Amino acid sequence: MPVFHVRMDNRLIHGQILVSWNSAFKIDHIIVTNDKVANDPLQVTLLKAVAPLNAKVSVLTIKDCVDYCNSPEAEKENIFILAKYPEDGLALLEAGLKIPVLNLGNQAFVRGSQKISNTVFLTESGVKALKKIHEMGIRITCRMMPNDPDTEYWPTIEKTLPQWAKSD
Amino acid sequence: MVGIVIVSHGAMANGMLDAARMIVGEQEGMLAVSLEEMEDVEGLIEKIAAAVEKVDTGDGVLVLVDVFGASPFNASARLTLTRDKMDVITGMNLPMLLELAIHRQGSSLDELVKIALEAGPSSIKTLSETLKSK
Repeated sequence: MPVFHVRMDNRLIHGQILVSWNSAFKIDHIIVTNDKVANDPLQVTLLKAVAPLNAKVSVLTIKDCVDYCNSPEAEKENIFILAKYPEDGLALLEAGLKIPVLNLGNQAFVRGSQKISNTVFLTESGVKALKKIHEMGIRITCRMMPNDPDTEYWPTIEKTLPQWAKSD
Repeated sequence: MVGIVIVSHGAMANGMLDAARMIVGEQEGMLAVSLEEMEDVEGLIEKIAAAVEKVDTGDGVLVLVDVFGASPFNASARLTLTRDKMDVITGMNLPMLLELAIHRQGSSLDELVKIALEAGPSSIKTLSETLKSK
């Protein structure tokens, strides 16, 4: 399977990815995907500048990311996708990315967000996106580090933020 | 005088500043900024920008960060690309900071960058090799 991991992390490429994930897995290609970031030349330049020695880094819009991952070119690679927000994770699935698990990495506090743990703060729109992901039968995990447990995280979200997680 | 801002994961930046004070005394125009666990890069950029404004006297600012490619670096780099007279050095260590503190008076930003790039790596040695070469 070309895409072996999808992480939603609003810090994108950072220390945990370069040091921990990159040494635990054989990553050939890191695809950073978020429409706003992909259209910001400054951020694209910087993200490519911090590419580790073993992996190439691409910064793509959601649509281009899914098109690439479904292309024959991607078949030969071990791809680690870094999306910024839960909304990006949902957009990837809706655009046709085939993946059984989405992992929630760092989601920092932003205005209007609520705390789930020290590293995960979710907005109402983020929780709604995760709910849709869950209802599509995709497993949601919350692993900062590769050796964190692979447990299903949706029940924790549902229990902590029931006001946003309940059905409309 | 070139301003210095030290940025790290957690308490390292404040710790380096504290350690530097013990060795070379109180430093003017030198501030520490730390990335907290719950913080995003945009928030970190704002904190670094505020520190940079405070230490910039017009001679420029040198930012020292811990790890290449990590959030303190990414945030400092994004800020640097939008400003003049600013540079970022990664892989900071205490001997590097001490050399900068000693040579800041009268040195330009470019000169300080050279000093840091020389001082950082040359301060890393093993005891066994050091004893052998005597």
